[in-house]
Amino acid sequence: MEEAENVNAKSSQEGTGNPAGSASGITGAADAGPAAAGSTEAGSTQTGAAQTAPATDTRNTGPGRLLIAVYAVFAISATARAGYQILTKFSEAPLAYLLSAFAAAVYVVATVSLAKPGRTAFKVSVAAVLVELVGVLVVGALSVFDSVNFPHETVWSLFGRGYGFIPLLLPILGLIWLYRRRPAPRQH
Amino acid sequence: MDAYFYIILVVGLLSSIICVAAGILKKAPNDTTILSVAAVELALLVYLVGSIVRVASGEQIAGESWEFWGYLATALILPIGAVYWSILERTRWSNFVLAAVGVTALVMAARMNQIWY
Repeated sequence: MEEAENVNAKSSQEGTGNPAGSASGITGAADAGPAAAGSTEAGSTQTGAAQTAPATDTRNTGPGRLLIAVYAVFAISATARAGYQILTKFSEAPLAYLLSAFAAAVYVVATVSLAKPGRTAFKVSVAAVLVELVGVLVVGALSVFDSVNFPHETVWSLFGRGYGFIPLLLPILGLIWLYRRRPAPRQH
Repeated sequence: MDAYFYIILVVGLLSSIICVAAGILKKAPNDTTILSVAAVELALLVYLVGSIVRVASGEQIAGESWEFWGYLATALILPIGAVYWSILERTRWSNFVLAAVGVTALVMAARMNQIWY
C-alpha cells in the first residue's frame, strides 16, 4: 500500500518536473540524471524480488532532498554553535558543550549518509538518526527533570524547544523515510 | 527589533508561503518561487549594507560582533545554496527546500537583532 503510494507520488512529480526542466536548457541536462534514475527505481519496486539491484538510490531524491536540506541546516548551525561555545566558554559547562559538539557531529554524519546512495550509507543513516532520536529524548528528559544540574545549552535541551521542536521531529521523519526507502533484501 | 528585521520578516514569510503553496500544488521550482527566494537574498543584502554603514558611522554592536557577521554571512549563503540545490532536481519537493529559506532567514535575522542590541 505504501509502496504503491510512493510510486504514484513519484510519477506525478516527474510529470510536473520534467516539462519545466526541459523548458530551460541548463537545468534540463542536470535534471535528466536523477529523474531517469528515479523512474528505473520506481519500476524496480514494482517488479519487486526479481530485481537484484537494490532500490537504495531513491533515498536522496524527492522528499529525501528536503530531509537532507533540513539536516544540512542543522549540521551547520549545530557545528557553528558548538564551535562558538567550546572556543569562548568551554570551562563553564564542559559536559553540555561536549554534548553540543557530539550533536553537531551526529547531524553532519546524518546529512552526508542520507545524501549518499548505497547499503553502507543506508546503515550509517539509520545509526545516525537513531543516535539522534535517543540523544534528543535522553537530553530532553534530563534537561526537564534535572534542570538545575543540566544547563539548557544544547540543540537537544528541552526536546529542542529552542529550535521549534524540529530536533525531535526530524529523527522520527528520518526513520519513517529510511524505512519506506529501505534497500531490498540481498539476493544470493 | 529594527526595520531590517521587519523587512526580512515580511519578505521571508511571503517567500515561504509562496514556495509551500507551489509545493502543495505539485509545481516544480519556477520563476515565482526562485524570485521570491531572490527577494529574501536582496533583503539580507540590504541588511548587510545597512549594518556596514552603521558600524562605519561609529555604532557599536552590543554582543559579539563576529557572531553577528557569522550569522549574516551564513544567512547570505543559504538562499544561493537552496536555489542551486533546487535546480539540480526540479520536483515539487525542491519548493519545500526553497520554503525553508524564508523561515530560516527570519529566525537568523531575529538572532542578529538580539546580538546587535
